[in-house]
Amino acid sequence: MEKGFVENGFIIDLSTTQNTTQLVFELSSIMEHPDVKGKRICLKLGSLDLKQSQLLSIKALIESMDASLAFIDTTSEQTEASAVSLGIIVSKVGDNPAMESYVASPSDMKEESVVIKEENEEVQHTGENEESKTVEVHADITTTHTETHEPISTLEGIEDVYTEQTTDELSEVIPSENFEADFETLAVNEGLISNEEVSKYILLDTGDVLPPDAEENSIDTKTLPTLYINQTLRSGQTVTYEGNILIIGDAHPGSEIIADGDITVWGILGGIAHAGAKGNISSKVRALKLNAIQLRIAGLYARRNDTLNVPYVQKTNEFTPEEAQIEEGKIVIYKKLRRD
Amino acid sequence: MTGRVIVITSGKGGVGKTTTSANIGTALAKEGYKVVLIDTDLGLRNLDLLLGLENRIVYTIVDVIEERCKLKQALVKDKKNPNLSLLAAAQTRDKSAVNAEQLKDICDKLKEKNDFVLIDCPAGIEQGFQNAVAGASEAIVVTTPEMSAIRDADRIIGLLEAKEEIKSYKLLLNRVRPNLIKSNDMMSVDDVVEILSCPLIGIIPEDTGIITSTNKGEPIVNDENSLAGKAYRNVAQRILGEEVPFLDLDEPKGFMAKIKNVFAKLKAKV
Repeated sequence: MEKGFVENGFIIDLSTTQNTTQLVFELSSIMEHPDVKGKRICLKLGSLDLKQSQLLSIKALIESMDASLAFIDTTSEQTEASAVSLGIIVSKVGDNPAMESYVASPSDMKEESVVIKEENEEVQHTGENEESKTVEVHADITTTHTETHEPISTLEGIEDVYTEQTTDELSEVIPSENFEADFETLAVNEGLISNEEVSKYILLDTGDVLPPDAEENSIDTKTLPTLYINQTLRSGQTVTYEGNILIIGDAHPGSEIIADGDITVWGILGGIAHAGAKGNISSKVRALKLNAIQLRIAGLYARRNDTLNVPYVQKTNEFTPEEAQIEEGKIVIYKKLRRD
Repeated sequence: MTGRVIVITSGKGGVGKTTTSANIGTALAKEGYKVVLIDTDLGLRNLDLLLGLENRIVYTIVDVIEERCKLKQALVKDKKNPNLSLLAAAQTRDKSAVNAEQLKDICDKLKEKNDFVLIDCPAGIEQGFQNAVAGASEAIVVTTPEMSAIRDADRIIGLLEAKEEIKSYKLLLNRVRPNLIKSNDMMSVDDVVEILSCPLIGIIPEDTGIITSTNKGEPIVNDENSLAGKAYRNVAQRILGEEVPFLDLDEPKGFMAKIKNVFAKLKAKV
């Protein structure tokens, strides 16, 4: 058996095994090795057909050895289906398993630190022109603050700031797992093992698919009115609006935000967010900390991955702003860490 | 197939209805029976958290009733056991969104295709309780060995007796602490059974593991080493009609005490 080394994990190649018994035997003999303890295991299963229950017991075997199953590599459709239903990641073991993940260094965060005066909600900034533009925009919204559901005028600036970024250079693409996901791209996306956020969200099979004319019917969200809310959304509270929703505060687990346009949370998003609820696929969800139980954009519903063992309610001061949008039938999350 | 519909109720809050529902449901599903758990605590749902299924809920019971989805679509399959599914309560609505007739309808549909339908009842005796009880034919009354919980359980048993549909009801004594019973600081199992004069279906010891299992979203019956988990598995066995002795929770060891115990248990079973 070939045993490759991956950062903090092993690739165990079992693709030559003929049947399940042989596979379990080989696996358990490898797993007895003391080095395996606490590691993340990637299983190459080849063309072997595994039922859900068999795959589950293999996972249990690995976990009983204090290791965890990172993902499996299979060519069998049945095994793949079993893995998907169990929430196990299916991917290809790349030729070059060197891991690299983009992590924000503290200095990055400092660069765009913004001083906020609490009393008058006026915002100061020492950065470049584009950034102070953002600040102005937010200050504008503050002045047009309404508790009622009356639409406020669209603020052109918001979209400008976001579109100024070239996604290639500045953002990291994190494709969510999809039943028809392009597994090659998943594997190419380095950091599959060391960066667990690769599958931060998993698409739910709700039977809903994007209608073929979704592209044509998508509306530019900046033409929609925006509802501004300055409070913490608590469990059981719902905000629904026929336009964009901007929340200054946290959205706790159990809360729901449903917008026809974009959803922006200036705080921790921990509840359910549904952008483009009427089917507008150009809608986006963005938050200072994207920790939503479910992310829904138009007809695509994604749940948070169970393997993320962070409590939903966890409050933090470490923010990694993220933005979710639909790309090629998938929900894609971009990290918005810095603006060069 | 006509499944059994069992409501899990208590009157008082915080005695462990939801924990009991999650664990009995999981234990029955592990035995190979098809089980549906219904959370009827609209607006204060918790059952999904205990099962770790919160992130999978798309449709709730209110969506089913208001015909925004099919019943089948709203059933959330458990992560581990495909025999177990959950019909979640709506978090953003309150008890008035559902009425007893509608819930009975859902129970009737579900019992056609499942062996067990377990209903997690909200605390109190108002609309929520009436809704939850409507579709059930059996009840499990959860209580703890405290005067307040027992008083409320007594009230509930009275209400259940008045309901024609409820054919049988059993008592589940939760959060029992043997050492407190020993030092006479807590009512003993026998005392509680005597006060309520209701057949006993299980005694669950207090277990700190419940707290971690709740936080992890993993019912404690999945933990083979936990005493509370074993007690819940035994309850499931008794629901299936098997004779399982009650766990020995360090009760008096003397010869006479043992005999007394046996009689008390016999009495409890009758």
